[in-house]
Parts: sequence; C-alpha cells; structure tokens
Amino acid sequence: MTTRLKKRLVPKLLIRHRRLGTVVRPVLVTTRDYDTSCDVGDPVSQAKIYEAQLADELVVLNIDGTSISEDEVMLGLIERLASETFMPLAVGGGVRSVDDFAHLLERGADKVSINTLALVRPDLITQAAERFGTQCVVVSIDYRVDALGYAVVHGDHARQATRWTALDWAVEVSRRGAGELLLTDACRDGAGRGLNCEVTRAVADAVRIPVIISGGCGLAEHFVEGFMRGHADAVAAGTFFAFRDQNPMQTRAHIQNAGIPIRMET
Amino acid sequence: MIPRPVPGRRVGIVDYLAGNLRSITNAFEFLGADVVRVHQPAEADHLTHLVLPGVGAFGFCAERLAKSGLMGAIENWAFDLQRPILGICVGMQLLADASEESPTVPGLGWIGGHVRLIPAVDGLVRVPHVGWNTVTFEASCGEYKAGDQADFYFDHSFAFVAPGRGITVASCEHAIRFSAIVRRDNIVAAQFHPEKSQACGIRFLRGFLAG
Repeated sequence: MTTRLKKRLVPKLLIRHRRLGTVVRPVLVTTRDYDTSCDVGDPVSQAKIYEAQLADELVVLNIDGTSISEDEVMLGLIERLASETFMPLAVGGGVRSVDDFAHLLERGADKVSINTLALVRPDLITQAAERFGTQCVVVSIDYRVDALGYAVVHGDHARQATRWTALDWAVEVSRRGAGELLLTDACRDGAGRGLNCEVTRAVADAVRIPVIISGGCGLAEHFVEGFMRGHADAVAAGTFFAFRDQNPMQTRAHIQNAGIPIRMET
Repeated sequence: MIPRPVPGRRVGIVDYLAGNLRSITNAFEFLGADVVRVHQPAEADHLTHLVLPGVGAFGFCAERLAKSGLMGAIENWAFDLQRPILGICVGMQLLADASEESPTVPGLGWIGGHVRLIPAVDGLVRVPHVGWNTVTFEASCGEYKAGDQADFYFDHSFAFVAPGRGITVASCEHAIRFSAIVRRDNIVAAQFHPEKSQACGIRFLRGFLAG
C-alpha cells in the first residue's frame, strides 16, 4: 500500500457580517450561485457540531469582500474557531497580501485560501509558498462552464470572467507553488444537483497537489461521485451540511460503503 | 471530547514567530495546563514542559530560531536539565541535520538524519501530504502502545526518515515510510499536528504532559 491517507469531508462555512443592534456579528449563511440565500446561525456552534460529527477540516470564507486582515469580526471568529475546535482551518475571502497570511495564521488559521488575489498577483503564490510552505497556500478557483463547454475561471466572487480555463489556471498555480486547490463550479453552488466531476477530474489528473471539489452536493451519493469520478481528495459542502437531513457522520458511512478510505472514528 | 486533565503542568511554547501557537496553546489549556509563550530565555524558568512549534519553510524557521536568542535556553532545557520537549511539524524537522527544502541552512542535529521531499506518484500520491493518515506505533508512547494505529492530521511536503535505531516511535506511509513520531530520551517530536488531530491528538499530548 502506497498511502493510507483518507479522503476528506470538509464543511464550508460561508460568513457574512450582520448587525444586531450595535454589534456586528459573523453569521453562517448558505448561497446559491454566490448569492446569499439563507442565514443559518452561529458559525462557532455549527463548527462544534461538525467537529463532533467527525468533519475532517473546515473551510471558512468571508464572502462580504472586506479586507480580512483588518476585519476584527472575521479575525475574532477565526480565533474562536481555533480555540473551541481542534481541527484544521483553511481561511479565505478578502486576503490582499502575503502579510495577511501571517495575520491569519497568528489568529489560528492553518491554511490560507486565495482566489482573486492569485489572479491579480500570481507572483504572490510563490512568495507565500516560500515563506509559509506550499502546504499553507490554498488556491480557490471558481469557474463557470460556458455555452461552448469551456470551464472559464471567474474572479471577484465568480462575477468576473478571466481568460483562463480551470485546467490551465490550475496547472499554472500549481507550478507557482500552490499546495492545494479548492475547485468550485459557481453555477452549481447551492443547487444540490451534483458536483462537476468532469472538470474536477481533468484538473486532478493534471496536477500533483490535492484537489478539493465543491459546488452542488445534494445527496450523499454526490460525495462518492466526487471521489470516484472527480478524482478529488476532499469534498467541500456548505448547504448540504447546514440544511439537509444529513450530517458528516451519516455521509461518511455512505462513502465507506462505497469502498473509499475515510476516517470513521478517532 | 473529555479532556482528563493532567494537573500541575506549566507548558512553555517557544515563540519565534513561526507557528500556529494559538491552536497549540488551546490544546494544552484544554488538558488543564498553564501555557506561556516563551520569547525570552528567562521565561523558560518554572516550566515543566517545552514545545517547539514550526510552520513554514525549513530555512525560514531555522533562521528565525537561530536569531531568536532562545537557542541557549532551549539547549540547556533539553540537554543540561534533560526536561521534556516536544517538536511539532517543522519543529520536528528542525531536529534533523538538514532538509532538502533549504539545503544551505543547517538543522539542529539533535536527531541525526535528513528531511527529504516526499515524491509524488501520478494518480496515487499527491504532495503536499494533506489530511488524516494512519500512524502505526512501533513502541509505546504515552497512552499509545506498540502496535496501536491511529489517524492524525498531516500537512507537509517534506518528511523525516530518522535512521537511528529506536528513534522512530511511530511511522506513517505516503509514497515513502517516514517517521511520524521520533524520540530520544526526553526529546519527542511529531510530524503531524496533534493540536489539530481531535481526540487522537489530545490523547498524544496528554501522554507528553504525563511524562
């Protein structure tokens, strides 16, 4: 056996700022095609539930476009998540510089996810990897499949088309030092109709770094497809874990029954 | 998760600006320890346990540590006083002689051997090695016995294969078989992140604190 590394289930916590009286608080939301569809509640209590259900890792994304290293609401949230759970945290949304990595790590993040910043300043991928190690640098890639079937990478919350295809951009960021990819089909976000395994598989087969597939989980079966057909190392889901009558534990049993190596107990 | 705290422990975490100290602090506090960050040699007085963390490139961490002004106190702790010290992730790799990641920067050489890049294998093994992998204990360590297996969280591209006899207490496989935990007398180090490994990680740290 070459490795006994397990496939991962990764709840994705999308965070917006909500004013309650005089206090601004971070609120867990779900989205559909990157538009907020619903407030779910307190991200920390939700994260603790996920931890108890054996989630393997958490992705925390600030989707309000604020500069995260100056955003005490987000930084405070990361601090609380790192204090109250003992699981890996990948944090992103509004990362503007390599120094921001240091701020986020200092507050308790383990990995930092960049998206638009990587498109605007691809050289920063290398700089961040040299300082923090490649394992710390997650590049998040949002794409939309156009009428001709091209998976076109979009920046700025999946609103701004670029000249990159998902495959070319994935190979490029991997060459520049990215340690992991978070690949999301924006059109499928929150729809629950299934993951885009075709695009993910093409990317996963072309790079040697781990690939997280995201966007569209509605059934436990979709996770199995993400691993088997998408060749992904991890499946990230937001709406699925927040609302469906499913949790990481039940989903895990389904995945194990399909013969996929996954963590079942601690 | 039930902490089952270890009473009377005062843990110092070496703060040389390279590591996720917050998570390590939280894990030890969960186990009932008092935790302080060590920035000055004098802050190592009155401690019972010392932790050497490390996140980032090997060269970056090694240079930061060399410039921290803490090396004398750390060596005094580990060798003159022979008290318990735990290296985590790059904090483990620093104990080696050198690393392929930063060939011009020497390691501390406390535990002989070289840190090497894990070779990716198309379709089978991706690098960095990210996620939960099974660790097999080859000797007893804290609450784990020889032969036990447990899943811990890893996040690294370079790995330490300690050649010394009896040094590797637990091993893990990802393209190569490497040392997941090494131990030499009072010096213990782990490649995985116990502070991120939920119940298994807490159990490992409890073993360190109890010793």
